[in-house]
Amino acid sequence: MNRGEQISAAKRKRIIRENLRSYSMLLPNLILFLAFSVYPVIWTLRFVFYRYGGYGASVPKFVGLDNLVRVFRDDIYWKAVKNTFVYAGAKILFIIPTAFFLALLLNQKRKGNGLLQSIIFMPTIMSSAVMGLVFYLLFNVYNGQINRYLMDWNIISQPINWLGKQHAMKTLVITAVWGGVGNYMVYFIAGLQQISQDALESARIDGANKLQTLWYVTVPMLGPILKIILMLSITAAFSDMNSVMVLTEGGPTNATMVMALYGYQFFFPISAGTAITPQYGYGAAVSTVSALIAGLITVGYLTLSKKLDDIY
Amino acid sequence: MRKIKEGSLFVLSYVFIGIMVLFTLYPTVYTVIGSFKTNSELTLGRSFFPEVWHVENYVQAFVQADFLKYTWNSVFLSVSVMVLATLTASLAGFVFARRDFVGKKFLLIMYTSLMFIALGSVTLYPIYTLLTKLHLNKSMAGLILALVSGQASNVMLTMGFVRGIPKELDEAATIDGCTLYGIFFRIILPLIKPIMAVVALFSFRHAWNDYITTLVMTISLPRLRPLTVAVVQLKYSVNAAAEWHIMLAGASIAILPIIVVYAFCHKQFIGGLTQGAVKG
Repeated sequence: MNRGEQISAAKRKRIIRENLRSYSMLLPNLILFLAFSVYPVIWTLRFVFYRYGGYGASVPKFVGLDNLVRVFRDDIYWKAVKNTFVYAGAKILFIIPTAFFLALLLNQKRKGNGLLQSIIFMPTIMSSAVMGLVFYLLFNVYNGQINRYLMDWNIISQPINWLGKQHAMKTLVITAVWGGVGNYMVYFIAGLQQISQDALESARIDGANKLQTLWYVTVPMLGPILKIILMLSITAAFSDMNSVMVLTEGGPTNATMVMALYGYQFFFPISAGTAITPQYGYGAAVSTVSALIAGLITVGYLTLSKKLDDIY
Repeated sequence: MRKIKEGSLFVLSYVFIGIMVLFTLYPTVYTVIGSFKTNSELTLGRSFFPEVWHVENYVQAFVQADFLKYTWNSVFLSVSVMVLATLTASLAGFVFARRDFVGKKFLLIMYTSLMFIALGSVTLYPIYTLLTKLHLNKSMAGLILALVSGQASNVMLTMGFVRGIPKELDEAATIDGCTLYGIFFRIILPLIKPIMAVVALFSFRHAWNDYITTLVMTISLPRLRPLTVAVVQLKYSVNAAAEWHIMLAGASIAILPIIVVYAFCHKQFIGGLTQGAVKG
């Protein structure tokens, strides 16, 4: 009896010591994770229900669902939601097929393809804010290179206002395609490399030409990876805001305001020099609803693609 | 007939690749070559190359626009973030992969679920207030911590990699009297170098290219600004219209170092991307 207790006490001591050892290695990461990833999320979710900042509310005041009700009545917000969908839709529509064909062509073992892959991937390693500024100069109405080339080649007779109300969204999509296509090309290449060579070989032996092999073997076999790629592209497109911030600042008159940036401007000014009255509670509500919308789209997409899997 | 068809397909595909390569390279080449032009050459000129290569644009950027300081800030910030992120992530990844401890399951669920909550940049405000409370909001240290931020994806990446290493190695080392830290530093660390390289590169790139986090944290502290923030601020300067050459010189200073890193490590950049994503 006495002896058994002693052993269990020793054993307990050992277990505690082992746990402490584990935690001593985990702690550096865990503390940072709790402070800079978990805490901000909890903070944001809490202040959804508070009026804080703006209208002289410097002390947080519990207001229940008021902020959420206001989000649903906020026309500019729903315009931003619509803009986000247009932006994300256009970006994905251009980027996915382009990236797919690039992957298909550059996956072949041919001299120089590795270099071409590296070149097309290069924009993904550069700062989207800095390159946003470069695109801002390139697309400048009177002094930008793009209009100058287009006019010199007689494609247009009047300079296009690329950052004006009519075209700003297109400019953003072009910038996004530039910065993202290499990323998705690499995903597709990884997918293509998982397709067994035997399947492709046997299709060839059966007399299928290149296009038939592509359509009947490669594309179906890419299915599962295509699903992941599309999901990643949706999440990324919904959270893009760096280039929007630098290129158009959401303007003109909210024509390119996206969900992510709309939430941000209740906390911080979009551009240097503009003064804002922060509305932390309302900004938290806006961002939470935006995160929910993005989450719903992802879940909806996953269920849809699963249903399609069952049919085919 | 078939040969002609395949031939034209071949030509077509190379035209497509050619267009994409031009599209990809043009903005970068424009930035670097443009950084040697005068402002009027940039805003009015038509030639691709500058008439005279104005190296003094860089002198002006480095000295007058203070880019020497911003470059140092960027280097210091990115290297510190890289070292800290890689070390903390690999320790945590190792513990999650190899050890059993109280609360492991809960923590793992928390790490993974946080990767799916996309509240965006509004979380920077609570981070900013937290750093203020800790009196870290006026120093580079706060900036570094905010950018390291215990990124869950890095931990998951190393955890997956450690799981692929045979457990017998650690067990043998334990029998030989190796401590937990001994196992990590002597056995695991040398074996997980490939994934540590990926985490290091990704966190370096993350810190070097970050705009919004550093912008927010340095709003009232221009002396801590990194290159990205400093370059974009030029857009709002009073004589922005007359300073395109400085903007492009600044932009070149911001992108060239990472391009050089990429030139040496493009395999890790490209390979690391798919290591995390496609496996899952």
